[in-house]
Amino acid sequence: MSNARSKQYKARIDQALATPKLQDALHRFGDAYVISREKAFAGLDFEALRKEIARIKDEVRSNHQHYLDEFTRNAEAAGATVFLARTAEEANAYIADLARKRGVTLAVKSKSMASEETHLNRALAEAGVRALETDLGEWIIQLAGQRPSHMVMPAIHMFRDEVAELFSKVTGEIESDDIEHLVQVARKQLRQGYLDAGMGISGANVAVAETGGIVLVTNEGNARLATTLPKIHVALVGIEKLVPTLEDAATVIRVLPKNATGQLLTSYVTWIRGAVPCGETEKELHIVLLDNGRSALAESPHCRDALRCIKCGACANVCPVYQTVGGHVFGHIYISAIGIILTAFFHGLDNAAELVRACIGCRACVAVCPADIDLEGIILHLRETLGEEEGIGGGKSIVFKNVLRNRKLFHSLLRAASLLQKPVTRGERTIRHLPLFFSGLTEWRSLPAVADKPLRDLWARRPQEVAKPRYRVAFFAGCLNDFVYPELGSDLVTVLNHLGVRISFPEKQNCCGVPALYSGDKETAVELARQNVAAMLEDDPDFVLTTCPTCTMALQRDFVDHLRDNPVWAEKAEHLAAITMDVSRFIVEKLDAGPALGGLADPEKVTYHDSCHLKRGAGVWKEPRQLLTDSGRELVEMAHADRCCGFGGSYSFSSHPDIARRILEDKLADIEKSGATCVAMDCPGCMLQIRGGLDKRGTPIRAVHTIELLAETLQERK
Amino acid sequence: MSKANFSKTFTAAAEAVGARVVAFDTVDPALEFIAAHAAGTIFVPGFPSGERMQLAGRLLGMGLDLAGSGRAAAEAAAAGVTGANFALAATGTVVLESTAEAIRLATTLPERHFILLDPAKIIADDFSAVPHLRELHRRQPRNYLAYITGPSRTADIERVLTIGVHGPRELHILLVPGLSSDCLEL
Repeated sequence: MSNARSKQYKARIDQALATPKLQDALHRFGDAYVISREKAFAGLDFEALRKEIARIKDEVRSNHQHYLDEFTRNAEAAGATVFLARTAEEANAYIADLARKRGVTLAVKSKSMASEETHLNRALAEAGVRALETDLGEWIIQLAGQRPSHMVMPAIHMFRDEVAELFSKVTGEIESDDIEHLVQVARKQLRQGYLDAGMGISGANVAVAETGGIVLVTNEGNARLATTLPKIHVALVGIEKLVPTLEDAATVIRVLPKNATGQLLTSYVTWIRGAVPCGETEKELHIVLLDNGRSALAESPHCRDALRCIKCGACANVCPVYQTVGGHVFGHIYISAIGIILTAFFHGLDNAAELVRACIGCRACVAVCPADIDLEGIILHLRETLGEEEGIGGGKSIVFKNVLRNRKLFHSLLRAASLLQKPVTRGERTIRHLPLFFSGLTEWRSLPAVADKPLRDLWARRPQEVAKPRYRVAFFAGCLNDFVYPELGSDLVTVLNHLGVRISFPEKQNCCGVPALYSGDKETAVELARQNVAAMLEDDPDFVLTTCPTCTMALQRDFVDHLRDNPVWAEKAEHLAAITMDVSRFIVEKLDAGPALGGLADPEKVTYHDSCHLKRGAGVWKEPRQLLTDSGRELVEMAHADRCCGFGGSYSFSSHPDIARRILEDKLADIEKSGATCVAMDCPGCMLQIRGGLDKRGTPIRAVHTIELLAETLQERK
Repeated sequence: MSKANFSKTFTAAAEAVGARVVAFDTVDPALEFIAAHAAGTIFVPGFPSGERMQLAGRLLGMGLDLAGSGRAAAEAAAAGVTGANFALAATGTVVLESTAEAIRLATTLPERHFILLDPAKIIADDFSAVPHLRELHRRQPRNYLAYITGPSRTADIERVLTIGVHGPRELHILLVPGLSSDCLEL
C-alpha cells in the first residue's frame, strides 16, 4: 500500500471536513434533488425504465462489434470521419493533430467528461491550441485550474464570491457576486469565442447505431453554438454511449435529465447526424470513439454492468460520503460510486485504491441508479481485487485468516476481550473513554462493552415456554448480537414464544463473513459461508431468522455467490437463502402478529431509522413500522429516515472514522428534530453507532432494536 | 393524456420551464405579438410554413426591421422567428428540424426566440416522436434536429436557476391554427 498516496488522501479528507460550507451546500442539494427527482418521475415506472436501459446497454456490450460497425458505416455515409481511439493518448493525438493540420488556434468546448478523462485540454495546449470551456461550470473550473467535483454540475463545490473573483480577473473589472450578473458576464465573454474558434469539441450522451448520429443533452445552449459555428466539429464519445435504435435513444433521454437534475427534460436535446451545412460550405465532422479501458471493463464479468452507466451523477447526489467530503475527495476524474469503478478501469487501480475503501456500502446509489447497476457489489469486488494486489493490511489479514476462520479461537478471544476490557468499562456496559491512541474511537461515540457472557453461553439456560410450536425456527445471531448485545437474543425468545414460536441457536454458527468481505478478504468469506451453511441447516429448520440485516444479506445473497461454483454447497446455500428472513418480516408475514401484539404499549413517540441493508438489501421497511404501530406506539417519521447512520462496520472504526462521525451527526440531528423519545431500528450495528452517539450527546432519547421494544411491552404486561 | 388535452398539457409544461405560450385564432395577431415583443431587429430564416404565409413580407409590411441573412445578421438581431415541426405535450418541448444553418442561427444567437406552432402538431411525448424522427432521418442524409424546452438555463453557480446563459433568454411559443399539419416540415 502506498503511504504517500494514503497521506495525500487523508489530507484531502481533512480539508473537506474543515469546509462546512461545502457540506451544507451538498446536503441542501441532496435534499432538493430527491424531491424534484420524485416529481419528474411521477406517473412513470422507474423500475421498468431502468431495466430497459440495462437491457439496451447489455445488448450493445454483448454485440459490440456489430453496433460499432453499424454506427461507423452510417456516420461515414453521412460525411463524418470516425476514428476509434484505443487509449486516451490516441484520442488526444488525433484531435491535436487535426487541429494542427487545419491551423486551429482556438477550440470551443461544450461539456465532455470523456475529454476530462483523456486530459484533452492539456494535449491541445501542448499542440498550441487554446481550449475554451463554454459550459458555465466547466469555464469556472477551468479559470480556477481545478477539475470537476460532480459529473453534471462540475462547479458545485464553488460559491458566488469565488466565481466573482475569477470573473473579475478575466474582465479586469470588479464583478459583483450577483448570480444573474455573473451569468451575463459569462454569456458576453464566451460569445465571441464561438465565432472565432476554428473547432468545436463536444461529447455525446448517446450515439445511435441505426442513424450514425449523436445526441447531446444540455441546458445552456453552448453545445448548440459550439456544434454550429466553428468549421470543424469533433465529438469525443465513449463507446459505451452506443445504443441500437432511435427508440433506445429516446428511452435513455427520457430517464437521463429526470435522474440527473430532476428536470422533465433539459432545455436542449440535439440530434446531429453527419456533416451538416456550415456557413457557405459544410461541416467537417470527426467522431472520435473512445475505448480507453472500456473493452477491458466489458471483459470483467463482475464489473461489466458499470458500462451501462448513462453518466447522470445520481449516485453522487444521494451518497452520504459524497455529501460529506465532495467530489474532489470522493472521486478521481469520475466521481462517487460509479467513479470508483470507472477510475479503476480508465485510470488504473492505483488511482482507485483509496476510493474503493471510501464507500460506506449503504446502497443509496444502487436504489437510484437508472441503469440498474449494483454499484456496491462491484465496489466490493474491486476491494477484493485490491486486497489480492496490495494486501489488506497486516493486522487485518492475520485476524481474518487465522482467527475468523477458526470459530473456537475467535469466540474464545471475544470471551477473553470481555475480561481484558474491565479496566476501561469500570464494570459498565458502555465504554465512554479509551486510553491513549485508542481515545479517538470514543471521542464522538461511546462503545458498548463486550458482554460478560455471550448469547451462545446463555441460550441453553434460557427457558422457552411454547405449548405447540408453530414452526421450526433457527436463529442466526451475528457477532454483535451474540457477543455485545446478548439481551437482544433473550428478547427475541420472549417475543417469539409469545407468538407461539420456539427458536433454536445452532452452536456452530460463526461470523457471517461480511467484515472480511468488505475488507477485501474473499477467501475467508467463502470459508465462513461454508461453515455457516452447514451449521444453520444441521437441524433442517423451516426458517432461519436474523436480527442483523448485514448478516441477512450475507445469508441471502453472499453465501449463494461464494458457493455458486461448488457442486456440494451451491444447492445448500440456495436453500439457506430461501428460508432466511429478517425477524420483523417473519413476524408480520408468517405470524400475522398484529392482534397478538395489539395496543399493549404506551403511546410513546417513536421514530424509525431504516438500516441500509434492511431497506435496500432485504427490502424490509414497512414491517418494523407496522409492528411498532400495532404495539400501540406513535410512529413519527424523521427526515432522511433511510439515510445511513455512518456505522459501516470497520468503516467507522478504522478506515474512515472522521467521515462516519459526520454522517452520524446528521442522523442524530434528524432524530432529535423528529420529537420522538425513542428511535427504533433493526440492526445491532446501527444500534452501536446511534446509541453511542446519543450517549455522548447526553440526550435522553433511547436507541433500541424493534424486538427489544416488543419484548419490553410483553414483560411490562406480565 | 387524451389528444384533446395535448394543447393544455403542452402549455402547462412549457410554461413550467419558463416559456411563454400564447394562443391565437389567426396569424395576424400572432405577428402583432412578435412586433410588440421583438425589441429590435428580427432574423427570419426561410422555412416552408413561413414562406407559405409570406412571413418576412408581412413583418416588413408591419414596419418591422428585418435582419439580413448570415451569421453577423443573426448575431446582431434582437429576435429570431421560426416555425416548428411538432411539439411534445408531456414535456412542453418544441421540435425543430434545424439542418439549414439559418434555423440554428435564429434559435441560438438572438436573445429572443418566437416559435409559430400549429397546435394540431402537438403530439403526446418523447416516445411518440420517434416515428417522426425516423422519417426525418430517412428523408435527409444529414440532419440536425433540435428539441427545445424552455429558454436557455443554467444552475452552475450555487444551484441557482438562471435563465439565458448562452442561448435565448426568452422563448415565446405562439399557437396558431392552420399553419401546417405536417410534422415533417418546419
